Amino acid sequence: MPPKGHPLSWFTNRGSGGGDIMLRSAYVLILTIGLIVILGHGAYAVKAPDGNESSICLQCHSKEGVFMEFMNKETISVFIDPSGFKMSVHGFMECAECHRNYSIDDHPKKEYRSKGQYRLRSSHICRRCHDDEKICEKPIHSALLDQEKDGSSPICSDCHSAHSVMPVTGGKIFMSEKKYCFSCHAYDIRMTYRSGETSSIKVSHETLRSSVHGMLGCSDCHFGFSSEDHPRRNFKSRRDYLIASSDSCRRCHFDKYSKTLESIHHSVLQQGDMTAPSCTDCHGSHGIQRMHDDRVSIPRRCADCHGEIYEVYAKSVHGDALINENNKDVPVCIDCHKAHDIVNPLTMEWHEMIPQICSECHADRSVVEKYGLSVNVVKSYLSDFHGVTLNFYKKQREELDKPARPIAVCTDCHGTHNIMSTRDVGIVKSNLITQCQKCHANITENFPDAWLSHYEPSLASAPLVFVVNGFFKIFIPILVIGLVLQILLHIWRYSSNR
Amino acid sequence: MSKNDNNILPKVRRFSKYRIAEHWVHVVMFVMLIVTGLSQTYYYLELSQWFVLKLGGIDRVRMVHRATGVGFSVLLIVHIFAAVTGLLTRKWGPDMLISIKDFKDAAHNIRFYFGLETRPARCGRYTYKQKFEYWAIFLGVIFMASSGYLLMYPIRATAYLPGEVIPMAKALHSNEAIVMILIISIWHIYNAVFSPEVFPIDRSIFTGYISRRRMIREHPMELEKEDAVGENNEEGMISEKVIRGV
Repeated sequence: MPPKGHPLSWFTNRGSGGGDIMLRSAYVLILTIGLIVILGHGAYAVKAPDGNESSICLQCHSKEGVFMEFMNKETISVFIDPSGFKMSVHGFMECAECHRNYSIDDHPKKEYRSKGQYRLRSSHICRRCHDDEKICEKPIHSALLDQEKDGSSPICSDCHSAHSVMPVTGGKIFMSEKKYCFSCHAYDIRMTYRSGETSSIKVSHETLRSSVHGMLGCSDCHFGFSSEDHPRRNFKSRRDYLIASSDSCRRCHFDKYSKTLESIHHSVLQQGDMTAPSCTDCHGSHGIQRMHDDRVSIPRRCADCHGEIYEVYAKSVHGDALINENNKDVPVCIDCHKAHDIVNPLTMEWHEMIPQICSECHADRSVVEKYGLSVNVVKSYLSDFHGVTLNFYKKQREELDKPARPIAVCTDCHGTHNIMSTRDVGIVKSNLITQCQKCHANITENFPDAWLSHYEPSLASAPLVFVVNGFFKIFIPILVIGLVLQILLHIWRYSSNR
Repeated sequence: MSKNDNNILPKVRRFSKYRIAEHWVHVVMFVMLIVTGLSQTYYYLELSQWFVLKLGGIDRVRMVHRATGVGFSVLLIVHIFAAVTGLLTRKWGPDMLISIKDFKDAAHNIRFYFGLETRPARCGRYTYKQKFEYWAIFLGVIFMASSGYLLMYPIRATAYLPGEVIPMAKALHSNEAIVMILIISIWHIYNAVFSPEVFPIDRSIFTGYISRRRMIREHPMELEKEDAVGENNEEGMISEKVIRGV
């Protein structure tokens, strides 16, 4: 018997009377129905313990290593990360809400031609809810939809993963900006210009990481772009785009940028020649490397446009040493022409600068001495007729605005890009007469000898000059001493005679 | 001192107007050559560059230098022509030629300076100092002119001569210029300006006259000769007579 006060005691106490059988029957009935309801419910709970069909699906789909095969024998993993799905914006939804034909009872087998076709079909699922008008609010989407009209359908899951879809704003928390950008830019998607030209927007992650800008984020250079904003750009041509892209560099490398404003490349560009190089043409874009480390590559970059000059340079004493010996002392293009403020080398200003340019190395003992070259070459030029005239012309042009005539400088005798070694004196001498003739008509073969070839006059190289100089070196002091002594004696005699 | 002397003692005519003019032209040209020449030799000095730019550029400086040089060499030719003509027509004697006596005079004067002689050497119309200076400058001008023309026409020169003569000419031209500048600035300026005998300045080349007192002291032999001729000459000036007509 149940104790008094127990809920069942009511039945027990009443059960002692005549109407007891009725009550007992009702009790059993209720108990039975209750049991059925409870057991029935219990049976359902075994089938779906937390109350949704997704769990049923995940019983299989959370296992890795299950693949689905397409008609073209491509395969795709059917694995779905349950926590990723739960965390996603669609975490509250049931599988069948997207995968409509599937239910606990029905798992139809569908045949797709290829993975591509499958992914494309899957995109249609998204767009059942996300209608075109809605998704067009993001500029990147409208560009993709434009592409769709041209026949290349965008696939949502290329950028937004299929089951771990995150809101874009929330996405930043979970993935770096770079990863976000690479969700599209790792693929060979093409960008179309007004001219109809297209170019790939693919960026190699490896290349970017190994570049000098590996630590920067995409939007550090591509300003205006972020995981929230992807403005639609409208360039006439690929070339226009590349030139405009150089503006990105300006924000950090302003010193270099302002130098380029003085360059011939910039002025050619200003004149409308779009083939003029901009930053990326020489430096590259995503794979920018430090240039000092690989001097051999520098002339090669210039050779992209100035190929003929490179050919000549490669055969010169400088180019040969660079390319064949990897000599660090020889000049490359940018050592003479400068890298960013490259000026027109046909101007008088440039012509006048040449001895100074050559002297950067040829007057530096630490550079030329190991090759047995004299450091006096520049000095001997500057103190001779041509050098003196050149310097005066330079001053006159600067201070009196006088037009100057071109005066022979280093390159007029030695050549520019084709500079040869002077060790073979015969070649230099025979070249010299033709070089002299450029300015001095009617010269004979004696004329070039008037130039002492940078040598200090010696008894062997220039005996006449040596003797004359030597004579006066002795004669002048004797003369001065003799005259002064005479004067002193004269004054002395005169004063002691008074 | 000399002013008073001039007042007391009669003056003697020493230089004709031709020589006075010749000296002036030489002075002007010499200074022009020095200034335009040195600014080329010492091109690296601030002063040279300032001067070259002030004159309107190196081309103009060179042009002025060459034109003056040509002028100077013309004067040299005229000078030689006049001297030879004068000698041939016996308008003057070979007073400027150096003789043994000049070396003896020099040695004598050095002994005199050391107190080994009681009086200085007795000189003629030109003292040995003047003669040596004259010939140093005369030869100098010949060197300067010839090397100058080589430098002015290097292409024509090397048609006949080896190329090396051009740098040699340059060495000679600049070195000889220094020698001439030293002779003029030390020797000539001392003897004609600062020497106690003429201080503050020997004006005979500007006025044409020299005091009798200085003639006695510096050119006693010439004075004796002049006086000997001068007995028949009212003015007592041999030089005027000799030079007339040149």
